[in-house]
Amino acid sequence: MTARDDILNKLRSRGRVPETPPPVWQSRRRFESLAARFAESLPKVKGEVIRVESPDGALETLDTLFNDLGAQRIVANGDLPTLDWAARWPDREWHLVGQSDGDLRAFCAAADVGLSGAEAALAETGSIVVAAGPTKSRLATLLPPVHIALVPESILMPDIFTWTAARRNETPANIAIISGPSKTGDIEQVLAVGVHGPRRFIVILYGE
Amino acid sequence: MSGVTFKQFKFDAHKAIADPVLQGAVDGATRTFRTARAAALADVPDVDELRDHFKAIRSATLSRLADHLETFERQAAAAGAHVHWAQDGAAANRIVVEIARQHGAQMVVKSKSMATEETHLNKALIEAGITPVETDLGEWIIQLAGEPPSHIVGPALHKTRQQVAELFSREVGRPLDPDDIPALTAEARRVLREKFLTADIGISGANLAVAETGSIVLVTNEGNGRLVTSAPPAHIAVVGIEKICPTWDDAAVWLSLLGRSATGQPLSIYTNTITGPARAADLDGPREMHIILMDNGRSGLIGTGYEEVLQCIRCGACLNACPVYQEVGGHSYGNAYSGPIGAVLIPLLFGLESNEALPHASSLCGACLEVCPARIDLPRMLLDLRADEVDQHILSREEHLIESGIAWLLGQRRLFNFLADMGRIFQKPLVDQDRLLAVPPEFNPAGERRLPTLAERSFHDLWNNLREEDDPAAPVYGWLHLAAVVLALLFILRLLKGGKTS
Ligand code: SF4
Repeated sequence: MTARDDILNKLRSRGRVPETPPPVWQSRRRFESLAARFAESLPKVKGEVIRVESPDGALETLDTLFNDLGAQRIVANGDLPTLDWAARWPDREWHLVGQSDGDLRAFCAAADVGLSGAEAALAETGSIVVAAGPTKSRLATLLPPVHIALVPESILMPDIFTWTAARRNETPANIAIISGPSKTGDIEQVLAVGVHGPRRFIVILYGE
Repeated sequence: MSGVTFKQFKFDAHKAIADPVLQGAVDGATRTFRTARAAALADVPDVDELRDHFKAIRSATLSRLADHLETFERQAAAAGAHVHWAQDGAAANRIVVEIARQHGAQMVVKSKSMATEETHLNKALIEAGITPVETDLGEWIIQLAGEPPSHIVGPALHKTRQQVAELFSREVGRPLDPDDIPALTAEARRVLREKFLTADIGISGANLAVAETGSIVLVTNEGNGRLVTSAPPAHIAVVGIEKICPTWDDAAVWLSLLGRSATGQPLSIYTNTITGPARAADLDGPREMHIILMDNGRSGLIGTGYEEVLQCIRCGACLNACPVYQEVGGHSYGNAYSGPIGAVLIPLLFGLESNEALPHASSLCGACLEVCPARIDLPRMLLDLRADEVDQHILSREEHLIESGIAWLLGQRRLFNFLADMGRIFQKPLVDQDRLLAVPPEFNPAGERRLPTLAERSFHDLWNNLREEDDPAAPVYGWLHLAAVVLALLFILRLLKGGKTS
């Protein structure tokens, strides 16, 4: 008998009476403003939120951030607003995932900033949801020391329950719910950021 | 694994209690966790109802575990993952080593996993000539120190910054400043980043496994879980069969309790869900994914009084709440699992006889039950395990003799009184202000215990006197009592009658 059959038989032979699972738990969060709650939650875990009125405002914010960070090498996922990024910031080095040639992994490992969009944003916890895909790299939001996400207010939801309820059928190979910068408390409970992933996690939340 | 006998447990507990550095570290860490948990749960609407709901999900899932496992297997395979089954820890290790060999792997990176701690996978890998590198900062610290984890969530919480700096300095070959924790962290980032990018395989556990899509979910704060499952060309996940979660909706309940109960975070920083290997068009992510569903003693608990222990989500809240854990530290449990959950789980998975001391490592105060997100009745199971020890004659001959002697003596009123009277006389030279002068160090590891003396007069004695001798009014009390009962009965009768006529 294979290990599989052995385990399944053992489980079935225990004579456990099947129970009916409870009905699905519905979100009980009601926020007056999803954007306000999001902007309040993320900084509590050392994430940063910059709210702007419009997509144009988001790009201007990026201008400032790139300058402040001294960002030279930027890797950008394909879930961002359509734009000729390299043309707008010509004196910086870009890797556009799915478009640029060259070694994505090596570029990410040496990049100053990873730029991404998001599938959804959860107001309660100040989280964004990023998925893997042909133009969406996992390493782009993971290896660079700074992760900047451009998030339209239209994708805000109350919480994780509303997110799972809205889940579509097809599941990508990787979905990450990101709720702040990489951090650890493993040395004497002292908070230290950027242990493996980004040291800074900045969400530009824009209206449309 | 040698097990935890009474002798062993006492020895380790004494050592831990006598170590002021360890005491300080464990006190501080568990207090931080406790405070954060309480605040985080207080912020959730209807949190008690949510916990009841979660318990119902866990219980219903376990009642049909075989079906859910089959669904999981089917969906994971459909997403392109290879699913393996392992009856025990050794089998799980063999499968991992076999896959590693096929890849010609020299070095593997691991993200924190209790399942692979349980199977001692690192040892098996090293024996096969493969170098495992733990990447969770806490796990890396204890790997460098050559120690087992001392807490489910904070494996190195017993280590001070000085000890960590020493370990890291040795690793990087130059002295590091213990007081600069950000610099220590940055050093770990530098060393481990290089490992992520050159490892042949990433190995993880799973916090939960979602059956409806065949996904595994990994929760970390550092991001090492994402790196381990994204950077190397292959990923192996070792998953205990009880980690199954039927649907994503259920997973949302699970996740919203896990982070809050563990570290007081509404969600941990990275909730990483993996469904099969990277798709053909994806530009990064592992090209191969293996999932090992491991039993290792779990299936035998289904349908027994101990099934509830399988509802555990390894949040560590019961450790932080436990007064015994706080004194004896994680290593006294001789295992990767510790605290109240360890005291129940270890005997059930690895044998009651060899771990006889663990069901007794509890004051039965109930704090663990109070904080458990799945409301697992650990105190009840600790008592049941103690009863099992009696039934299975696991307790030592001496203990058995003493217990039955006491049971007999309690039935011998006269003899008992006589012995108590003797005790009152002979204790005199040992008494200081109503306390016994010394308690044998056996029962007094911290040296702070002072037992009360036998009272001048026993309760039994006082009671008898009160009723019969000293108080001339005693018979009157008896009559008064009877009168009160009669009056009460009459009153109740009237009430009942009144109820009918109106
Ligand atoms: S028994 Fe409960 S409190 Fe303890 S680790 Fe498991 S889920 Fe957490």
